[in-house]
Amino acid sequence: MEVLAEINWGIIAPIIVIQMILMIVAFIDWIKVEKTNGPKLLWLFIILLITTFGPILYFIIGRKER
Amino acid sequence: MQWITLFQKETKENWHNKKWVWVPIVFTMITIMDPITNYYLPEIINMAGGLPDGTVFELPTLAPEEVIMMSIEQLSMFGVLIIALMSMGIIAAERNSGVTEIILVKPIRYRNYITAKWTTLLLLVWLSLFVGMFLSWYYTNLLFGDISFLMLLQIIFFYGLWLTFVLTVSVFFNTMFKIPGLVAACTILTVIFMSIINMIFGHKLTWFPNQLSAHIQELVITNTVSKELIGTSIITLSLTIIILFAAIVLFQRKEIF
Repeated sequence: MEVLAEINWGIIAPIIVIQMILMIVAFIDWIKVEKTNGPKLLWLFIILLITTFGPILYFIIGRKER
Repeated sequence: MQWITLFQKETKENWHNKKWVWVPIVFTMITIMDPITNYYLPEIINMAGGLPDGTVFELPTLAPEEVIMMSIEQLSMFGVLIIALMSMGIIAAERNSGVTEIILVKPIRYRNYITAKWTTLLLLVWLSLFVGMFLSWYYTNLLFGDISFLMLLQIIFFYGLWLTFVLTVSVFFNTMFKIPGLVAACTILTVIFMSIINMIFGHKLTWFPNQLSAHIQELVITNTVSKELIGTSIITLSLTIIILFAAIVLFQRKEIF
C-alpha cells in the first residue's frame, strides 16, 4: 500500500479519466447503434473489459456505417 | 456554397460517428504514455523486483527535448496507423454502400466532394495532433523541464505537414479502391515503403518527407529553423497538393457510372 500512496495521483489521474471517457463514449455509441459488425453483445464485452484497445477496436472495425 | 454544404455534412457525420471525440483521445494516449512511463521507470523497475544487487547501471536522465521527441516518434508509428485505419472508409465505404451514387446524381462537382472530405479529415487530424502534443508538452514541462510554448507550436506545425501528407495518401487510395481494408493496407505500405527508401538513400535525400521528424529534432535541440527543415516542408506540401489533385482526377475518371 505504501507504493500506492507514493504515486502522485495528479499525474496518473488524467490517464484514467481519459480511458473512462473513451469507454463511456464507445458505450453510448454501442447503445445507439442498431447493428455492429459481428454479434452486438460481444462488442459490449470488448468495450468494457479490454481497456483502451477495446473501445478503439470498436470504433475502427466494430461500427457499421449506416 | 455547395462546398460548404458538403463540408457541413462531413463534420456532422464525424460528430455522429464520434470521431471528433475518440481520435483526439487516442492521439493523447499515444503521446502522453512516453513522458509518464519514463518518469516512473525507476519505480516500475523496483516494483518488478528491481535490479540485482551491485549492478552499476545509472538510468539516463532525459532532457525535455528528448522526451517530447519520443511523443513525435510514437505518433510516427501509432498515429499514422490510426489515421490510416480511421480514414480507410471515408470514400471507399460510401461507394460500397451506394451513398456516393445518391450524392453524385445531383450536379455536384467531384472537386468539391473530395476537398470537403479532405478538409474535414485535415481538421480532425490537426485537432488531434494539437490536443495530443499539448498534453505531452504539459507533462514534459511538469516532469522533466521547460520547453517553450512557441517551440511546441513549431513542432506541431512542421509535424502536422507530415500527417497531412499521410492523410492525403489515404484519400488518394480511397478514390482508387472500394474496399476499406485495401485502402488502409496501401496507405500503410506506402509509408513503410517510403521509410525504407529513406533508410537506404536518406543520407542523399535530405529533403525527403520522411526526414521531417529528424529535422524537427534538430529544431528542438538547436532552436533554429534549418534550411533543410524548410526545404523538406516545401517538398512535403507540394507532394500533398499533387496527390490531392491526382485523387480528384482519378475520381472523375472512375465515376462515370
